[in-house]
Amino acid sequence: MTTALLQINDAQCQRAGDLLFAPVNLAIDKSELAVIAGPNGSGKTTLLEAVAGLSTLSSGQRLYQQSADINLWLQHSHYLGHKLGNKGNLSCQENLEFVAHINETTVNQQQIASVLNSAGLAGYQHQYASDLSAGQKKRLALSRLLLLNKTFWLLDEPFVNLDHAGCDWLYQVIAAHITRGGVVILTAHDQKKIHQLAHHHITLVAAIEEHSA
Amino acid sequence: MRFWALFKRDVLVSWRKKSNIYQPLVFQLLIVTMFPLGLGAGAQTLAKVAPAVVWILALLSTLITLENIFKDDYEDGSLDLYVLSGMNLYLATLSKASAHWVTTGIPVILFAPVIAVLMHLPEHTYGVLLLSLLLATPIFSLLGTVGSALIMNIRNGGMLLSVLVMPLLAPVLIFGAGAVLETSLGNSARGHLMLLLGCTVLSLTLAPLAAAAAIKINLE
Repeated sequence: MTTALLQINDAQCQRAGDLLFAPVNLAIDKSELAVIAGPNGSGKTTLLEAVAGLSTLSSGQRLYQQSADINLWLQHSHYLGHKLGNKGNLSCQENLEFVAHINETTVNQQQIASVLNSAGLAGYQHQYASDLSAGQKKRLALSRLLLLNKTFWLLDEPFVNLDHAGCDWLYQVIAAHITRGGVVILTAHDQKKIHQLAHHHITLVAAIEEHSA
Repeated sequence: MRFWALFKRDVLVSWRKKSNIYQPLVFQLLIVTMFPLGLGAGAQTLAKVAPAVVWILALLSTLITLENIFKDDYEDGSLDLYVLSGMNLYLATLSKASAHWVTTGIPVILFAPVIAVLMHLPEHTYGVLLLSLLLATPIFSLLGTVGSALIMNIRNGGMLLSVLVMPLLAPVLIFGAGAVLETSLGNSARGHLMLLLGCTVLSLTLAPLAAAAAIKINLE
């Protein structure tokens, strides 16, 4: 029996009553990266949401430290999906402060400034999130990861909307997080570099139809 | 701390998006000007229907603001942030309802005397009117969280929300407008206000449970 930090056993998800993919298994430990691949509509986002705890797996289970306790898992994980979660009429700083407080973390202005700085948003501290470009909004959302200090990062298409410099930055952030003992599970399309870094590759394949024509 | 973080954010967002606050008031003002035109401008004619009109306007003007309590958060993804923070959803709902009450309920209460003057509501009923709205506006916000949580992933869910929430608000209207009416007739409004208080306590305890369950169902 394995004792990986996070185990996903025979996970399956449904959309509109149909199973999306064949059972997925993953045992991931500290300092590891898993990349989930698969064509559009194969259920990458659905799987990641269920693993994050936003929805539930239709079958299978997620064991964190051998326990299915959702609260323990939520304390140590952060999910970033397609919907970025920024409030348009709050400034970058206010957005980050809210995220910190809702996660019961205290932050000061300097921490926020330095996080925004490393995300390439220096000087945007008091700018409304709605005034940012799509790529900058993504950077703002990603900067939450640096602020919150969680072990598990679950990222849905994190490279989308980022420019070359942004992709390089994110790549370095992910690599650094893994070196520090963090764990990253992400979905990505054609990011060769990130695939090379990955310890686990999951390719979603369609669930076998029980009643073939 | 989480409760206040969410509350503070919601109040700030509403404050910046001014329409949230003045939309119900403009709505009330527009409709109340129709009554003298439709009913005739006699003060006595208006005063007779005033308790019901003032109350129905407060109710309807709040109703149009309920949809967005959870819908905005669902659409921009910030709902995920507090659901995944491990925050108790009962508490989150209470926080959302409080923020909605502060930014919509309080302005509606404060604006009620203006509508009351325009409808020639007898002056000695103002106290009871304000008290009844003070008890009822939290119910609007609390039931609003339930309705909004149920329809947050439906595109044009506003109509559905009205259909869901209106029947639940009917008793509130009966007791609230009843209290003002009884006072205007010179009777005691005590019974009506007590029943209204009962509704407030009931929705304070039960509505967040229902809203939390609705959020979970919609995230499945």
